[in-house]
Amino acid sequence: MTEPRRPDYLPEAIREKLIHDPRVAEQDLRVEVREHRVMVGGNVSSPQLKQRITEVAKELLPEYEVVNEVTVVPAAEPDGEEPVS
Amino acid sequence: MIRIAAVGDLHYGEGSREILRPSLQHLQDRADLLLLAGDLTRCGGPEEVKVLADELRGLRVPVVAVLGNHDYHADREDEVRRVLEDARVRVLEGEATAIDVDGVRVGIAGTKGFGGGFRGAHGSDFGEPEMKAFVGHTKMLSDRLERVLAGLEADLRIALLHYSPIEATLEGERLEIYVRKQTLVNGERYVTPELKEKETLVLNARSAMVAREQTLFGEPERLWLVLGAERLAGPIRAHRPDIVLHGHAHHGVEKGRTPSGIAVRNVAQPVIRHAYNVYTLDAGRQLLPAAAGGIS
Repeated sequence: MTEPRRPDYLPEAIREKLIHDPRVAEQDLRVEVREHRVMVGGNVSSPQLKQRITEVAKELLPEYEVVNEVTVVPAAEPDGEEPVS
Repeated sequence: MIRIAAVGDLHYGEGSREILRPSLQHLQDRADLLLLAGDLTRCGGPEEVKVLADELRGLRVPVVAVLGNHDYHADREDEVRRVLEDARVRVLEGEATAIDVDGVRVGIAGTKGFGGGFRGAHGSDFGEPEMKAFVGHTKMLSDRLERVLAGLEADLRIALLHYSPIEATLEGERLEIYVRKQTLVNGERYVTPELKEKETLVLNARSAMVAREQTLFGEPERLWLVLGAERLAGPIRAHRPDIVLHGHAHHGVEKGRTPSGIAVRNVAQPVIRHAYNVYTLDAGRQLLPAAAGGIS
């Protein structure tokens, strides 16, 4: 483990991991660490991706509880259209 | 009326199959063309974009795309481009294309664009070679946009980017937060230890709310250097396309305008929260002359 383990560095270490791990590769996730909990928020496009965030965070910090508050962004058809001028 | 469907930042990869496809079934009834504003893949792998290409294949509307930073990550952008082109997606980088829609010539000028920041907080090509290279890349792509917009003859003209040319679509709404600090200070003599604890919670809540507000309503301003560049607005000011579409700013807002009034839409999928949005444009409206641009 090369990541710094000081608690104040942990959120950035986890964010870096979530950016660079090809299973996730998300740059826009928020990470907070409180006591032995890692909280992750943000938006992703699929439930599988959301699940992988938990897996990757858990691999990095097995002794922490991962609270995955990431939202899966809906991808339905739009309701209407916008006239632009 | 020309109906433009647009979305960016789909971040396709393994596991993305069928995310978009169900919503594309009726696309031809709702739009005349589909524009993709970059970040089509997660890590820039050809196998990732293949998943998307398979969903786009056979669509009955023309599809035009630019790539985004994620599509460059594996250094295989040429392969990404070829996979898309095999699925009849026209990929633009410093290029333009024109599509005939019921006799209306719709021109699209496209480039990824790049970062560099905005007035008062923009990067300059000064100092280390890395900084010069960073700003130099933005300048090069801005020059490309200038060239293709200048040569784009069409009834309707669209600029398609990945990075934003304006701050407005990066900046979320800002909530006004009022902290009744003074009232609490004046009430100090009545404050019990329990109330004091509550007061501290309330006062500290402000910073928590600001942080939360920022994540909910806007891109943190420190990121603006890498989210877009004012240099990209120069060609837009000079050549006045009818609309500018971009992605990349997942925490930004959808709607903005350049100061000279050109509509800009951030179509990043986490922002529009649909498979695509549709913008209708009137090909018959009188375009303002380029010289009337002013400052934008």
